[in-house]
Amino acid sequence: MAAVEEARRAAAIVRDAGGRVVGRTRFQKMAFILEAAGLGSGFPFKYKHYGPYSEELSNASRTAAILGLLNETESPASWGGLFSTFEVDMPPDSTIPESRRRIAHETASADAVALELAATALFLFLARIAPSDAWSETGRRKPEKAANGRLDQARALYERIRQIQTPTPLPRLE
Amino acid sequence: MPKQQRIRDPLHDIIDFNVDDVHLERVLWRVIQTRPFQRLRRVKQLGFSDFVYPGATHSRLLHSLGVFHTARYLMDVVRKYTHPFESAKADQALAAALVHDVGHGPFSHAFEDVGRRLGLKLADHELVSETLIRGGEIAAEFKELGSGFADDVADIVSGNGSSSIYSAVVSSQFDADRLDYMRRDRLMAGTEHSGIDFEWLIQNLEVADVAYGVDETSLGQVQTFVLGPKAIFAAEAYVLGLFQLYPTVYFHKATRGAEKIYVELLARAVTLVRDGSTKLTGLPASHPLVKFAKDPENIDCAIALDDTVIWGALSLMAEAKDQCLATLAKRLRDRRLYKCIDVRTCIAHEKGDAAASSPEADRVCADIRDEISAWSDPQTDSAPRALIDQQIRSPYKKITETKGPLDQINIRTDGGHLVDLAQRSKVVAELQAYKLFRVYHDGDDVEAKNKINQIIDARIKKWQQ
Repeated sequence: MAAVEEARRAAAIVRDAGGRVVGRTRFQKMAFILEAAGLGSGFPFKYKHYGPYSEELSNASRTAAILGLLNETESPASWGGLFSTFEVDMPPDSTIPESRRRIAHETASADAVALELAATALFLFLARIAPSDAWSETGRRKPEKAANGRLDQARALYERIRQIQTPTPLPRLE
Repeated sequence: MPKQQRIRDPLHDIIDFNVDDVHLERVLWRVIQTRPFQRLRRVKQLGFSDFVYPGATHSRLLHSLGVFHTARYLMDVVRKYTHPFESAKADQALAAALVHDVGHGPFSHAFEDVGRRLGLKLADHELVSETLIRGGEIAAEFKELGSGFADDVADIVSGNGSSSIYSAVVSSQFDADRLDYMRRDRLMAGTEHSGIDFEWLIQNLEVADVAYGVDETSLGQVQTFVLGPKAIFAAEAYVLGLFQLYPTVYFHKATRGAEKIYVELLARAVTLVRDGSTKLTGLPASHPLVKFAKDPENIDCAIALDDTVIWGALSLMAEAKDQCLATLAKRLRDRRLYKCIDVRTCIAHEKGDAAASSPEADRVCADIRDEISAWSDPQTDSAPRALIDQQIRSPYKKITETKGPLDQINIRTDGGHLVDLAQRSKVVAELQAYKLFRVYHDGDDVEAKNKINQIIDARIKKWQQ
């Protein structure tokens, strides 16, 4: 895919989430779930210890920022790190399926840790790494993130997303 | 006198294994004798870098031994600062340091590029490492250290499980991997720059709690390595050293040019086999590359590949009926690389050095990449007329998806606070990401050379207007 076209597709993900996505993790995991639901932009994802991640999407969003299609600003987080906010100023595309917009909105407003857990469980299932116990494997791989009820939050989030009818139905993860 | 197994290493001198008294080292010595680990003798650490630095032929086996040796130093730091010291976790981390690279394929990262292009899961060295550690010969040896030991080691290598100071030995800004490869690659390449003050860094390493989180959400604190205030200049050299190794060694234009040809060669060979045209490759059906192309999710097929298998295949592929494959094989065998046009250098020449890595230069590069890619889209049976190389590297290793203290080098101040090295070092603060954008073409293809230069010149001119 051409660099400019990839950049446009990356920016379009933010557009369909309402024009603003807070956090690189949200952005990546949102794009992965869209991809898994058959509503994606063609970015390939690989498993990293912080969950499904696409180097190509990361590069494309950087190119989108260079081309002025997307604005990424970094803000200090209360815990001492930096988080990014991605914004686009693009008119909505009426040809985009409603299900893509709904998933993008749902994930954009989700807790970032719960979303990372949900996307991880989905990846582990789809990649056949943990086809029968994706949630427990997710909890085992990310014990700190899964603590304090966040794994249950992730399950609930995933179930809400799964209720949205998509071209590729999202699987049950049990 | 306990029995020692000793290895002579050009970097560390003696790497010893106390096989009589130290249970872990006895088992690790046996792990070294396994087939997957011995295979690393035939995977070079720096791939094609010996095309430029003939001495840089060191293997991933030697690097792995060096990482283990360095990890022992780091573990001594952990022992000094951590109470209670958890020896079981320490053993897992030391074992992980030894086997962390066991899954690398032939020419390592270039092979992963082939995998990405063709969707070959087992071209991913992280996945292969994890698979080899969890099962097979290595896991069988680890079993002596406990039924879950192999899985615990695999989790450390793949970054799963709880982050701790023990896993920081294997993955952090001061991990044993980088502390070995920076020094070893410099030594074997023979370059005189990029030296680091290893002993001083180790002497000044401490353990501290740093915060981490996901996006705006805090997840608490985790222990990692930090440096005391007397090591600021050593830390500066550590960061700058890697930054000097990028352009001079890791991303040298000839090395990258060879990798680009290798990627095209392997992608072509695998595609021909998949299409049922093995006879056009010049390779017999029993060749490990053919077997891998036919059965890419078979771990045995994946580890049957190494650098020597590919080198050996070149003379066969040079006689291939497929002209594209034959041409690429001959080029690699005889080091007849494509010529390189460094686009950012062209921009620097026209617009000044500072402009070459500016946002406008990035825009120009994106446009040029698209235009050249569209023009050079390869014909079915010919070698590509232009190969594009684009890379970006930041000074710090990426540890998390969200930027935080784990993704920087933390210095403990005299007052006991932790600050990012960039706040104490003006040199590091001024560092910008290393960016490269190059286009390679056949030196005899004058039309391609002219076309590429025409595209580059036209786009740079557009900027000037």
